Amino acid sequence: MLDFINPYYLQIGSFILINILLAVSVYVPLSSGQLSLGSAGFMGIGAYTSALLTINFDLPIFLGVLAGACLAGILGIIVGLPSLRLTGVYLAIATLGLGEVIRVIFVNWESLTRGSIGLTGVPQIGRELLNLVRGFGFEPSMIGLKNNQFVFLLVFILLFLIVLATIWFVVRQQNSRVGRSFSSIQMDEKAAESMGINIMYFKVLSFAQGAFLAGLAGALFAHVMGYISPSDFSYHRAVEILIFTVFGGSEVIIGSVFGAIFLTLMPELLRFVSEYRYIIYGIMLVILMAVRPQGILDIHLLGRFKGIKRSKGGMR
Amino acid sequence: MVLDIKNVSKNFGGIHALKNVSFSIKQGEIYGLIGPNGAGKTTMFNLITNIFEPSSGDIIFDSQTITGLKSHKITEKGICRTYQNIRLFSQMTALKNVMVGGHSRSSSGVFSSVFRTKKQREEEIQLNQKAEDLLELVGLLEHKDTLAENLAYGQQRRLEIARAMASNPKLLLLDEPAAGMNEKETDSLYDLIKMIQSKGITVLIIEHDMPLVMKLCDRITVLNFGEKLAEGTPTEIQNNEAVIEAYLGKEEEYESA
Ligand SMILES: Nc1ncnc2c1ncn2[C@@H]1O[C@H](COP(=O)(O)OP(=O)(O)OP(=O)(O)O)[C@@H](O)[C@H]1O
Ligand SMILES: [Mg+2]
Repeated sequence: MLDFINPYYLQIGSFILINILLAVSVYVPLSSGQLSLGSAGFMGIGAYTSALLTINFDLPIFLGVLAGACLAGILGIIVGLPSLRLTGVYLAIATLGLGEVIRVIFVNWESLTRGSIGLTGVPQIGRELLNLVRGFGFEPSMIGLKNNQFVFLLVFILLFLIVLATIWFVVRQQNSRVGRSFSSIQMDEKAAESMGINIMYFKVLSFAQGAFLAGLAGALFAHVMGYISPSDFSYHRAVEILIFTVFGGSEVIIGSVFGAIFLTLMPELLRFVSEYRYIIYGIMLVILMAVRPQGILDIHLLGRFKGIKRSKGGMR
Repeated sequence: MVLDIKNVSKNFGGIHALKNVSFSIKQGEIYGLIGPNGAGKTTMFNLITNIFEPSSGDIIFDSQTITGLKSHKITEKGICRTYQNIRLFSQMTALKNVMVGGHSRSSSGVFSSVFRTKKQREEEIQLNQKAEDLLELVGLLEHKDTLAENLAYGQQRRLEIARAMASNPKLLLLDEPAAGMNEKETDSLYDLIKMIQSKGITVLIIEHDMPLVMKLCDRITVLNFGEKLAEGTPTEIQNNEAVIEAYLGKEEEYESA
């Protein structure tokens, strides 16, 4: 019964959802013109904070995740302020460096983090949720599911709701005074300032929001996996996250979503060619960047569906 | 006085872009700032909006010193500008550009924007209405959904004026608004600026189109190599020997303007 609810697929689905959060954590700062490669580092902050709080102080997972995301967000403010002087690749390099510093701290602060071995026994969201519903006298078998099917399903649904809420938040914010300020800063910082926009405030705001989202994703990652180690948050991860956004199309949020889904699925779908799959992955990226540097999805492509009037203004 | 420029100088390394320049603009005036290329006109705008700080001197707006104030604060105080080399938000629609211009006269933050509070919704409706009114004023209402980069050159210049107007300025700074416009467009620009003046807004304009300047301005300051060469009414300026020598030239083509 209900065998199509396959834990393996649900697990991949959950990773896709976490990756969407990470891609959006790059997208948001980018929407105000800041290319941040710090997401892996902020993700690590969220993951370790929540894992340590729940392991050592028996904090409920919910509070641990919140604390992890908030700490990452606060770190985002602290780092965002001095980073205001940096733009473009310089900011990218600085944030990449920050991520490495954070990772090295995780490796070396052994008394707290157990170094490169990492933390095991991180309370898992799925099990907690199962215990919770059991407390109400519910058993997965009552709806014809095995325990592990049910657990993976719950995790997937929870993450799905969080992703939905995040996208809702970002889209609503985008179509508002705040979002207009972000894009005006992205398009012309000096002109934006001349129009009365406090660019310092809005740049730090979008940077910190990105850090918060990465921290949230990291904390969720820790409680889905059950174990974390510094190598989960290395610069490979930082680059991978950036590629989600850039590949999918960095101008529109749907691009990040698409990039995260496609690039998480692809290596799975290409499993049959085993060791060649990362070669194919790499070649595909090279071709894409040569042919379509703005990513797969952009306003123009979406505009075809929505019918934005583009050419009406005539010649230039 | 709306604006008092007092002994303002600006050095860029060894270049003296402005040397000890002073002038004052009265409420409701259209004031011209003219002079040859490189005279320091745009630099004066950049000092007023504090893109750079003056090397010395003071800028007083509405009886308050604004020297050293952040650019966005100056906009809040009521000074807004356009740029010589158009700086629109090119990937935004015309309407959104103008709505960004209204930033300093609105207040919705993250929370009210995401949860669409009643106040936020009213503010957006008002801002939208104001932006449409301004687009109508500059004759671009039918292009409100066009991306700024797809507008014709003259339209972009007028869109910049609408965007600046959205900040409810008391003083509007226009840097060569007629540049690249044909005669017909220049005529409608004249009407537009007069209309802006009739709303009680003071205008400081940099312009190379002399017939337009002479027709439009109440008073004019002429800059030359960073120094003030002359100040006066259009008639006085046209008859000033030093100005004719340095800038206007000998021809009498402006007499009729
Ligand atoms: N940011 C800067 N750094 C160095 N020099 C500058 C800077 N801005 C302006 N200058 C110099 O200051 C002088 C005045 O320039 P400005 O742009 O104010 O002239 P302008 O009167 O606006 O000329 P135009 O009519 O060509 O626009 C020029 O010599 C220019 O090279
Ligand atoms: Mg100039």
